[in-house]
Amino acid sequence: MSDPIRVLVVDDSALMRKLIPQILQADGSIQVVGTAIDGSFALKKIEELKPQVVTLDLEMPGMSGMQALREITMRYRLPVIVVSSHTTQGASATFKALAMGALDFVAKPHDASAHMQQVAQELIGKIKIAANTGAPRAPSAPSLSFHKPEKPRQRLRRSPTRVVAIGISTGGPNALQYLLAQLPGDFPGSILVVQHMPEGFTDMFARRLDECCSLEVKEAQSGDLLQAGRVLICPGNRHMRVRRMPLGDVVVLSDEPRVNGHRPSVDVLFRSVADEFGPASLAVLMTGMGDDGADAMGAVKAAGGMTIAQDKESCTVFGMPRAAIERGHAIRVVGLDVLANTLQAQCLHEVQPVGRLARAQAGQTG
Amino acid sequence: MNFFSDDRMTELRQLFFESAQEILQVLNEEALRLEKAPEDAEIVRSIRRAVHTLKGDSAAVGFRELSQIAHELEDALAPEVTSAAPGADLVELVLSSADTFDGILAAHRGSLPLPSVEPLRAAIAKLRPGANGKTQLPSRAPSASLVSWSEYQQIAINQALQRGTRVYRIAADLDPNCPMKAAAWQLFHNVLQRAGEVLAVQPENAGAENVSHFEVVISSQKPEAWIADRCLIPAVIAGVKVTPWKARQPGQAPAAESAAPQTAAALESILRVDAERLDQLLNLIGELIIGRSMLQQVLGEFSRRFPKDSLRARFADAMAFQTRVLNDLQRSAMQVRMVPVEQLFRRFPRLVRDVAKQCGKEVALLLSGQQTELDKSILDAIAEPLAHLVRNAIDHGLESPEERQKAGKPGKGAIRLNAYHQGNHVVVEVSDDGRGLDPALILNKAVERGLLSSDEAARLSPAEVLELIFRPGFTTAEQVTEISGRGVGMDVVQSVVQRLKGAISIQSQPGQGTTFVIKLPLTLAIIKSLLLRIQERLYAIPLNAVVEISRASEGAIHRVDNHEVLQLRNTVLTLVRLGSPPSEFNPGKRIFVLVIALGERRYGLIVDTLVGEEELVIKPLDGQVVASELVSGASILGDGTVVLMLNLVAVVEHYSRQSLAPLPAAPAQLAPPPSPATSLPGGAR
Repeated sequence: MSDPIRVLVVDDSALMRKLIPQILQADGSIQVVGTAIDGSFALKKIEELKPQVVTLDLEMPGMSGMQALREITMRYRLPVIVVSSHTTQGASATFKALAMGALDFVAKPHDASAHMQQVAQELIGKIKIAANTGAPRAPSAPSLSFHKPEKPRQRLRRSPTRVVAIGISTGGPNALQYLLAQLPGDFPGSILVVQHMPEGFTDMFARRLDECCSLEVKEAQSGDLLQAGRVLICPGNRHMRVRRMPLGDVVVLSDEPRVNGHRPSVDVLFRSVADEFGPASLAVLMTGMGDDGADAMGAVKAAGGMTIAQDKESCTVFGMPRAAIERGHAIRVVGLDVLANTLQAQCLHEVQPVGRLARAQAGQTG
Repeated sequence: MNFFSDDRMTELRQLFFESAQEILQVLNEEALRLEKAPEDAEIVRSIRRAVHTLKGDSAAVGFRELSQIAHELEDALAPEVTSAAPGADLVELVLSSADTFDGILAAHRGSLPLPSVEPLRAAIAKLRPGANGKTQLPSRAPSASLVSWSEYQQIAINQALQRGTRVYRIAADLDPNCPMKAAAWQLFHNVLQRAGEVLAVQPENAGAENVSHFEVVISSQKPEAWIADRCLIPAVIAGVKVTPWKARQPGQAPAAESAAPQTAAALESILRVDAERLDQLLNLIGELIIGRSMLQQVLGEFSRRFPKDSLRARFADAMAFQTRVLNDLQRSAMQVRMVPVEQLFRRFPRLVRDVAKQCGKEVALLLSGQQTELDKSILDAIAEPLAHLVRNAIDHGLESPEERQKAGKPGKGAIRLNAYHQGNHVVVEVSDDGRGLDPALILNKAVERGLLSSDEAARLSPAEVLELIFRPGFTTAEQVTEISGRGVGMDVVQSVVQRLKGAISIQSQPGQGTTFVIKLPLTLAIIKSLLLRIQERLYAIPLNAVVEISRASEGAIHRVDNHEVLQLRNTVLTLVRLGSPPSEFNPGKRIFVLVIALGERRYGLIVDTLVGEEELVIKPLDGQVVASELVSGASILGDGTVVLMLNLVAVVEHYSRQSLAPLPAAPAQLAPPPSPATSLPGGAR
């Protein structure tokens, strides 16, 4: 057996400094080597205890969480997992932290007795990833978040040429921001995103993305229309499907049970896009652990749609794309830096959406 | 599946309660600081951070209500809100929040029904803009729809409007008694379809079990009244409202976000240890010390038997080494239990503020000696008595501002809390600069209440007069007020202090003020003791109570008013004799008299022989083993002998009080001696 992963827990709450190690102790391969009450203590303890992964609360007295984060990622080159509170401020700070180099985040443990299993799995999983990936690369395209992109004055309600469904998990926020910021405001496709993220964070996530790209980005609501140049982000803890309606194509949210251990699940979105849009669908699996979306990518391919997996080099975690590639469902494997161009090219020409029913009929006649 | 065992959850909750208490303390302190510096945004930030932590912690242990209300408070403390609110309101809000949180915590701890948070919620709402209608964005009018229509639904509605049909919004409530919600919805939907085209329905899951209100948009050629009439299905739909469609009002703009920058003093790195574990550690050290004296005893025996043996010296060396290490170990273990008095003092600013407000007095609180360290258990025990003294000092000790000015004092009274080391003791003083205690008034009261006769009253020294206020049933206040009359009387204060093997005394100057001096042992667990024999029985008394050891002969003892007294140099010492006086009076018999100090008073304890000095690990004895309160604990000596620790206060009380009672002469009628040693079963420990 390999040595346990050494973790330092930084939180100003005494309760969390007890609770988080307890959660982590459930897994034998993780060892909490210490806890720290604020940023400056954290830095001292890093020198002393040499942890491999740091969990960090952003709201602390003394040296702020952001400052500590900068030091930990830049100076000590350690992966940081932010333990974030559920408020809007919390979400906002969290995304700032991700942009500054935090590897990932989890929501603060909530109602320890009820949901702990889930919280534990998520946190343990992310720590293992962090230990494997090591220090994050320099924050991707930091300048992008500073200049306000130009938005088209007025967006015409246009049906999209294609429906681009993106499934993404660990490492997602930064990769997605990088991708979307490169797409022009008149991008002809409509983009749907399932990002594995806890409830309460997706709204802020969508708003942040909206601020830094020319596309219109919003958290999806049931009945929102698929439009060219629009990105709909599936809210946390719900599933997102598409439906073609007489007056337009819409997304529908639902509260069905978790699929592949996830809600939202990429599989659910991909399958529904394949069913409704057939060859006009385009599925993209990006960085993330696990294999959510890999199977349903096969359905997209079978329905005549395009399937793209992000390549290993540009992935924070090469899990979901690899699963799709290994199962033979990915038609193309593309790096993050060229993904925007690829999508642009793929969506340039309108593809006639053919639903499941029509395909079935065509299959019978043909 | 439950991830945490109940044990762990309990432990976690326990930790939560502790840290929450600290957070409340911070809230109280910061609020008081804010009261002095209302403009200081940094204090508000610090308060907000504390509330934030409380919110997260309480959510983690599943106390939703607490988390929710803390969340609301946190939002209200956002810089953009607080900058508009006057500091005083904020102080009141934070203080009352702390109280409400405290109430909720207490309820959780005792599994009691939660207190209402509505008053606090209302107070929070008052602080937020919008309650006074100044800065709020135009929000939805009360009659406006509570639902928002999806984009697709809006397209459908707009298209219908463009076609020129009439569009109605229908809001309907299900009859709460209707048993099948799904069927009811279906019935209603059927009616709607007959009336026209259904364009939109909210909520999406209409027909689900928990949905009792829904809104529908239909296009229809039928008049409003007709639709309303049809929709009102008896026993299914309780109420319905039909209005012609109007363009929706703009939604609320997203609120500006800002994350507060965070800077504050770094805290110390602190390890939290359960007090019980420390007690256990100390207990084991106590056993070690007993073990050492056993070894010492054996070594003594060995040396006597083999005075020439070379092993003896090595034995003694090893012994000396062990003793030294053991002393260090004991000292460090004690050190761990020591906490600065500050932990106790920091509660007082809030208390003083509240009591002063209630009494309508202005009070300045001066703290000093906060760094003085004291055993944690002692600290906890004196918290309530100390609070009582402070309340009393403000309520009774300090004069009203007018009175003070008449007496030429500043209108603002001063309460001082001070702590310092004195030998093996810690002294805590509570003083005020008020009117002082009036001995005449106290005497009158005491006689009036039948606490003593006027004869006795005449004989009391000034110090003794003041100490009358510690007698049960004595109150100087004209009325029992809400503040002081809390059932904790001065007698309780004294008995707590005495239980802790401490003493309390009073110094008072009329017109200048009163000081209560509480003298406490540094720690309770291990006590330097003097071993002595009285009538062949072995006892121990705390060495630090002994001021002087003197010798006398029985012939030097005089009897005055049923007391045995001894003239020692220039003072007359009241004697306490455990056990009966010798049956045959032998004026030449030499005895020891231990001069012991209790508070300001001194007594002589008559002792037959002195055995020696020893550090004793005192084990408390419960009532089943020893019924007498004259004994405060027991210990075991190296040779296995059990020795009883005398509770000097009770002993002196017992014997001197008894002789105070007007007994007709004969000292033989004194109460029989306590015989705790005989009532202690052999080897009980």
